[in-house]
Amino acid sequence: MEISVIASSSIDEGIGSWDLKTGKEQLRFKQCASPAHGLTAVGEKFLASSQLRKESTSSGSIFYWSWNKPQAEVRSFPVEPIKALVANNEGTYLVGGGNSGDIYLWEVATGKLLKKWHGHYRSVTCLVFSGDDSLLISGSQDGSVRVWSLIRLFDDFQRQQGNTLYEHNFNEHTMSVTDIVIDYGGCNAMIISASEDRTCKVWSLSRGKLLKNIIFPSAINALALDPGGSVFYAGGRDGKIYIGAINATSEYGTQVLGSVSEQSKAVTCLAYCTEGNLLISGSEEGVVCVWDPKSRRPVHTLSSGKGKGKGPPVNNIQIVRKTIVDNSNKTQSSWKRRGSLMPPPLEKYERSGEDTMDGIVTVDPPPFSDVPVYSSFLSADLIDEQVRELQQQGSAATEIEMERLKLEYKRSLQLNDQWQKNYENLLQVVMEEEQIGGSN
Amino acid sequence: MARSKAPAKKQQKKGIDFKKIKRKLGRKLPPPNNATNTEIKSKAIILHEQSVAAEKDGLATSKKGLTLKELQLRTSHHNAKVLKDTLHGFQDLFKHHPAELQSNKYTIIQCLGKLISHDDELVREAFYELFRTQIFRACKEDNKGLVVLLLMPYIFTSMTNSSIEVRLMAFKFFHLVLEYYPPTFSLYAEKILENYKDVIQKNHFYIQDKNKLEIVLSGLAHCLSLLPCDESNTDSQRKNETLLAYEEDAAKECVRFAHVSGILKEIVGVLINCFQDFIPLIHAPRGFNKQSFNCIHHILHSIGYAIKFSIRRHSQRQATWLPASEENTMMILDPYIASMLSKKLLGSFPLNCKNNLPEKNDELNSVLTEIFLEVSEWSSLPSDLSNRFLEFLENALQGKITRSNKLSKSLLSLLPFVPKLILRVDRDQRDNLMQAFTITFNDCKPDSPLKLACISVLKDLIIPNGDILYHNDPTVNNYQRAWVNKLPSLLNQLGDKNPVSTKVVLQLLLDLARVGCLNASTTFEEEISNFFIPCQEEGDVPGGPFASLPKEVQEVALCFLYYFIIDNFSSRLLKAIVSCCLYQQLEPAVLFRIVEILHSAYKAGCIQITDHFSFFITLIARFKVVPEKLESAIECDERETYCGTFKQLTNLVCSCLSEVGDSSLVLQILERVFVEQIISKPALDNGCAILRMICALDSKPTRLSESSVTTLSEFLPGYLIDIVNCIPEDKENSYLYIQTCLYYLVPCYFLFDRSSKLTEQVLKRMRSMVSENTKALESVQDRESGRDSLNLIQCIVSVILLMHNDVKVRKLISSSKSEIDLILQNVITLQSSQSTSLTVEGKHMMKIAGERLRIAFNSLLA
Repeated sequence: MEISVIASSSIDEGIGSWDLKTGKEQLRFKQCASPAHGLTAVGEKFLASSQLRKESTSSGSIFYWSWNKPQAEVRSFPVEPIKALVANNEGTYLVGGGNSGDIYLWEVATGKLLKKWHGHYRSVTCLVFSGDDSLLISGSQDGSVRVWSLIRLFDDFQRQQGNTLYEHNFNEHTMSVTDIVIDYGGCNAMIISASEDRTCKVWSLSRGKLLKNIIFPSAINALALDPGGSVFYAGGRDGKIYIGAINATSEYGTQVLGSVSEQSKAVTCLAYCTEGNLLISGSEEGVVCVWDPKSRRPVHTLSSGKGKGKGPPVNNIQIVRKTIVDNSNKTQSSWKRRGSLMPPPLEKYERSGEDTMDGIVTVDPPPFSDVPVYSSFLSADLIDEQVRELQQQGSAATEIEMERLKLEYKRSLQLNDQWQKNYENLLQVVMEEEQIGGSN
Repeated sequence: MARSKAPAKKQQKKGIDFKKIKRKLGRKLPPPNNATNTEIKSKAIILHEQSVAAEKDGLATSKKGLTLKELQLRTSHHNAKVLKDTLHGFQDLFKHHPAELQSNKYTIIQCLGKLISHDDELVREAFYELFRTQIFRACKEDNKGLVVLLLMPYIFTSMTNSSIEVRLMAFKFFHLVLEYYPPTFSLYAEKILENYKDVIQKNHFYIQDKNKLEIVLSGLAHCLSLLPCDESNTDSQRKNETLLAYEEDAAKECVRFAHVSGILKEIVGVLINCFQDFIPLIHAPRGFNKQSFNCIHHILHSIGYAIKFSIRRHSQRQATWLPASEENTMMILDPYIASMLSKKLLGSFPLNCKNNLPEKNDELNSVLTEIFLEVSEWSSLPSDLSNRFLEFLENALQGKITRSNKLSKSLLSLLPFVPKLILRVDRDQRDNLMQAFTITFNDCKPDSPLKLACISVLKDLIIPNGDILYHNDPTVNNYQRAWVNKLPSLLNQLGDKNPVSTKVVLQLLLDLARVGCLNASTTFEEEISNFFIPCQEEGDVPGGPFASLPKEVQEVALCFLYYFIIDNFSSRLLKAIVSCCLYQQLEPAVLFRIVEILHSAYKAGCIQITDHFSFFITLIARFKVVPEKLESAIECDERETYCGTFKQLTNLVCSCLSEVGDSSLVLQILERVFVEQIISKPALDNGCAILRMICALDSKPTRLSESSVTTLSEFLPGYLIDIVNCIPEDKENSYLYIQTCLYYLVPCYFLFDRSSKLTEQVLKRMRSMVSENTKALESVQDRESGRDSLNLIQCIVSVILLMHNDVKVRKLISSSKSEIDLILQNVITLQSSQSTSLTVEGKHMMKIAGERLRIAFNSLLA
């Protein structure tokens, strides 16, 4: 496993990747023009990114890259352009936010669209999973931040009762939400959201209300949370990286970490790497800069190999840990069968009718009863498929195996007898010799 | 000391204590000659508390000459008359000597307190008056809690006194205390309510004496109004607390009133019974007077507050999972109370007093309606009853019932229920209600509180809790559209005089625009555009109020603008925004914010690239940097700020342009527009900004076309001369002068660096200008034109010297040394010219210029 930084751009310049420690440029993934928040690593297995498309095309597109090939391997075309894209930690689900405000939930292994729901009134700008993957937080151009419980999304009973789908709806932002981070507080976590209205707001997940409002001198494009939890970093449109104190007494956050250059353009994305405590910023002028937040100084910049000129504007930075999937991995047998290491493309439509009911593990206890809740879902189809596979490998094979094992068992028993006899013989010989020796 | 006698001896001003008593007892011996004088003399011997009268000289006394101490001693007198006089004495004393009260208030209160339960009515009245007029007023800034703490034991004992009159006085006095220090109630809530319950319950005969009942009921209503009924105030307080800190037990007040609900239930029951007792009076021909009205009014209000509080507690508990206490069920769900409410209280609606003003009648009815609306949300009531209330509400909204001041206030309290009610009732009633609401909304004045209330209700009517309801109900949609279409014109009507209302309207518009349910019509757009166009002096059309609103309101307006642009962008709107940006009085911060917001909207794909560019170009080309020429120091500052604003604006626009995309492509698109602007000869600052924009997009070597370079070469000499002309040379601070010049020169330097051809052409043009003017000087006799020519030549020389000062540019111009040489030659010819148009001064100037230029030229050669 290695840690590397990947950065994508809004113009078709591909995805750059660098080794975090050495700063050396690695493989460049081609053909990618991603919107902000449209790049994500799916588990540690591969890379996925939604694509900016021409306005004329009605459908969107999502590409997959495996770690070792520059070309996009799997291309899927959802019904509408997808802006924000995120996968859960394990990489089992992929969630995309559409231009119309709809949110799509796919199962990666089968490519099935498990759920599509109307999340916002305008396009979804960012999506974040909570630390335990049970909650999804979405921000939208309409300025709202909503918290969704993945379990309750599938609770048809509640929906029929007329309850709202979301857990919380934070409406205080007056302009488009640009970024969201959630801290490590579990169910008591704080959510921080940034917006073009020049504020960052801190929300309580448990109480579902606004805790703090911090005003900045410029619109904030990106957020990164300090692992200490009391400070966060905010990348401003004026090219500065601000430090926001969650506990500050004043409403204004004006402390500056630094700016990439004197006349710098907007900071577009931030990422915090806990290994080595580094903050990585990407900016409109194409500079990926690594900062030491303690000393508030830039450590080094990551540049594309093409030359000394500034690269394309960066709008996504991710810190990824790669695990290269190889053939020996038996668990992904269903992918393997298709002759590729990559999962199938994502489906366009939800399966209708009985098929869906059949396909999803239904969660019948309502979420507020204290029955232990399923930590992750796997669609029943996948399980069925694997069971079927096992069965198909077949009874004949197992019988032969059994025979072989029985034989082996017999043989070992015989061997055991033999050894025992030998031992006894030997013992007798030794005893005899001892007696002779003693008498002598 | 016999104090009582003191006043009698008052007329003997001095010496009552050391009166000289003459005694003749033989002769005195003359003092011996050698006697020592043992007399001790001092200026004054001050002996304390030896004389009653002398002491009073410096002390404050009442009319009757009593000091505070004496008055205090008298408070324990047994005679009622004396006591009354004493109390009046206090009043008198405090009136003239407020300081006395300030320094002794706690002791005074302590010794007065017992009088509250005195048997004599006059004493009690005097006591009440004393506190009302003097003591509470004087103790406004003190530790009120301590004052109240001293008084409360006396009040409580007299509240349970056997005499009714005393008890009444206790309640009356308590009401006074409450007004003085409202938190008193929360400190003793349970005990106080218990006392109120007792007094109302056990004394039914008060119906006869409404005056007295009114006293009690008004106090109770005041108490209950202090129960926390809405969350808004507590939430706003908590906004700035520190996070991640140790948290105290949830909301404190919620703990404080934890045990009230039981007694509240009882009180509501008692009040409803009391209300029942009044019913026959209402229907009696002459039984209903002002007092009865007030009583009923207080009763209804009290019940209303109690119900609101219990509902709020209920929802609060549900939201935060407070530990369950004995008050598990809500009051109105309690079967006993519920049946009482629906049968005895609400069942008697509408109240119809025979001989009463219809206004008062309506007032009572509207309070009843409020209670009904509160209750009906939780429990179902008989439909005929609901219909009666709904009819009343409709009438109220339609203005069919008279609208006095008080009534419109009660309408204000009814309005917030309308949205929830509309969701609840069936279709026909819903349409009727919407119709009625529309009438209210249209009829009230723009700046009235009723309008404000209507607007705050509108959001819940259209997007309750942030969701759009009734997607496809045409009648509802029609109503909604009608309401929304009224808003922009309302904005313009409100003007800049009512920022609070304007903010609420804008907030509503923002909320609606965010969820995309504006469905703006053309008039809507027009009004919005008008809102942003500032007053122009020349135009006869009055401008929109945007530019003169407070900053936070402007911010809301701009957020709304963002969403409005996304959905309904029109060139008309863009024009309005541009004219707003170019408005002189607009705050720079707001200007930058507008640019930022438009750029965001562009990024979101809602503004066409051409529109976006034309916005930038117009802004840069038309922005007026005034005053152009400066005279005094004050104006100098102003110029600085304007320049500063414009500089920042230029930077902002440049960075926005570079974010648009590949800069060479952008330059290609914009090149023609730039050239057009340059041909029209903009002012110095605007020209500089345009050149800067070109530089920001261009790269080395230049991507500008041949023709553009030619146009630039025609423009630049004039521009360079302008720089020297417009910026007065600051001899004392040459560094600052050079910095200022440099700001304007730098874009030229960039252009020169990128295109050597441009450098050549510019120098060539300057040279030809010099030679033309030289010729003109030699031929023309007119001094006036001669001076101009001379000035021009001098400016050109300064420009070249400035350029020469910069090391990099020196290299650039060294390639066209010949041109500079020619200019030098011209200057030298002028020095020796015989032309009459040239004064001695002019020749001197030329000489200096020539000298400086020669030095520069020589260094170029080197």
